[in-house]
Amino acid sequence: MNIVVNGNNRTVESPPLTPLLHVLREELDVLGPKAGCENGGCGACTVLIDGAPRRSCLTAVGSVPDAEVTTVEGLGAPESMSDVQQAFVHYCAAQCGFCTPGMIIAATAYLEGGGSADRTEISEALAGHVCRCTGYLKILDAVAAARDGNFDLSTTAESPHTTVLT
Amino acid sequence: MAIHTGRGIASIEYPTGMNQNGDPSQAWIKVKPDGRIDVFSGTSDIGNGSKTIQSQIVADTIGVPYDWVTYDNSNTDSSPVCTGTFASRATFVAGKAVLKAAQRVRERILEVAGQEMEISPEDLEIDDGEVMAKGAPTKKLNVGDVAAAATWGHGELITGTGAQLNPYAAISDPTTGEVDGVPHAAISYAACAAEVEVNDETGEIRVVNLTQAYDVGKAINPALVEGQIEGGAIMGLGLGVLEDSYPYYPSAEHRGGDFGSYYNPSSADLPELHNIIIENPSADGPYGAKGIGEMSNNAQPAAIATAVYDAIGVWVTELPITPERVLKAIDARDAGGGPRREGKHVIFDEELSINTVGTGKTWTAGV
Repeated sequence: MNIVVNGNNRTVESPPLTPLLHVLREELDVLGPKAGCENGGCGACTVLIDGAPRRSCLTAVGSVPDAEVTTVEGLGAPESMSDVQQAFVHYCAAQCGFCTPGMIIAATAYLEGGGSADRTEISEALAGHVCRCTGYLKILDAVAAARDGNFDLSTTAESPHTTVLT
Repeated sequence: MAIHTGRGIASIEYPTGMNQNGDPSQAWIKVKPDGRIDVFSGTSDIGNGSKTIQSQIVADTIGVPYDWVTYDNSNTDSSPVCTGTFASRATFVAGKAVLKAAQRVRERILEVAGQEMEISPEDLEIDDGEVMAKGAPTKKLNVGDVAAAATWGHGELITGTGAQLNPYAAISDPTTGEVDGVPHAAISYAACAAEVEVNDETGEIRVVNLTQAYDVGKAINPALVEGQIEGGAIMGLGLGVLEDSYPYYPSAEHRGGDFGSYYNPSSADLPELHNIIIENPSADGPYGAKGIGEMSNNAQPAAIATAVYDAIGVWVTELPITPERVLKAIDARDAGGGPRREGKHVIFDEELSINTVGTGKTWTAGV
């Protein structure tokens, strides 16, 4: 069967019940989606399937023939990052980075679906994505900033949540 | 049903680096023929940003732009020894090792530049990649030209090593725990104020605000310090109210095995966070820095427990403070009996916490 991964037609040899995550990572060497819990709980494997965010660990590749699959690599490269990717850099919204591809995919889908910059709405949209490093706050700030185009790769955002006493 | 609000505070003091010291870090730096800087250090960057921070320390200490620095910790065979990324030590201990190595590299650059410029090294300084005569900044030589001269003219490699080790302090008196040396390299202080809402029908706790102050000595990279504080806050929230390895008492066989039964905090659990960074420099740390990593998730559970007491008048002395424990505490309070400690109502769920671990050993609650 064939799937389209980040705009490229790819032929898949894996059996149809193989999770899309394993097809991407092991057969096609697309390593952005991460294998976290592999039972739908952590969100690290999330990709866009025909524009909608889906857990690739729970998606049998045979169920999405000819689908357009977008991983974090498909949203932008280091020299041509998407708005969400740039905002994540500006806000230092990644630490170990394991959850980041899924977070960025989910945030992209949220904003492309007309999501607002409201913190509660963003946090609900990302609530299915586990991050054990950041405490989520910089991620939420980054998504809100991405929506408003409020990011600048040449600087690091000053946190509105911090006071420094010297 | 009513929602009760409460506020509580907890504070900690936390040693930076290993208890009793004895945890070395080493670093090696060499300068490429074009002036770019290669740092070899053993510290693993697990997302805490130690690569960034140590590169900043090297760049600032030598006097070159940050993007001239490459940090290589790619394998444990060729890397210098570093005890590891734990105990809030990556900036404080390993950062000091790269600082010392960078100081030696700077000295070597100045010596070679002094020969090239025919000026005494004491009269030279380095800023933004340029070696300049003090007081005469137009007389200058790029660090890249200095490195090229060292390579092609002087036949030498500009390099420097550094190591940081506070000697191990052994326990000399097991009764008191007294040690025979300096027990800690630096002590940090922190406080956390928590505001909670407790539902007295369901037992659910919502943490609505965590305001935290951390003495980090010096925030070498404030955004990364914030990342540690905010991440620690949510880990502490999880330890305080959510994350239970044995949610299905009494059988340990039903322990949580996935994210459906092990409740780690999500973005929907995020309270308002306020970070206060206090710069109270340490004598020994690089640029006055202390540690922030491991200490950042210690104060929240105690602050939350105190806030729960403020809300419903019962000390829950076991973590996490799950709805089940809250309801038990309320029942015990309303029954007028239940265990007391120092005159206060407490709940100590001995069976739940100890016996499910399966050691067979029992502890006395001490009530």
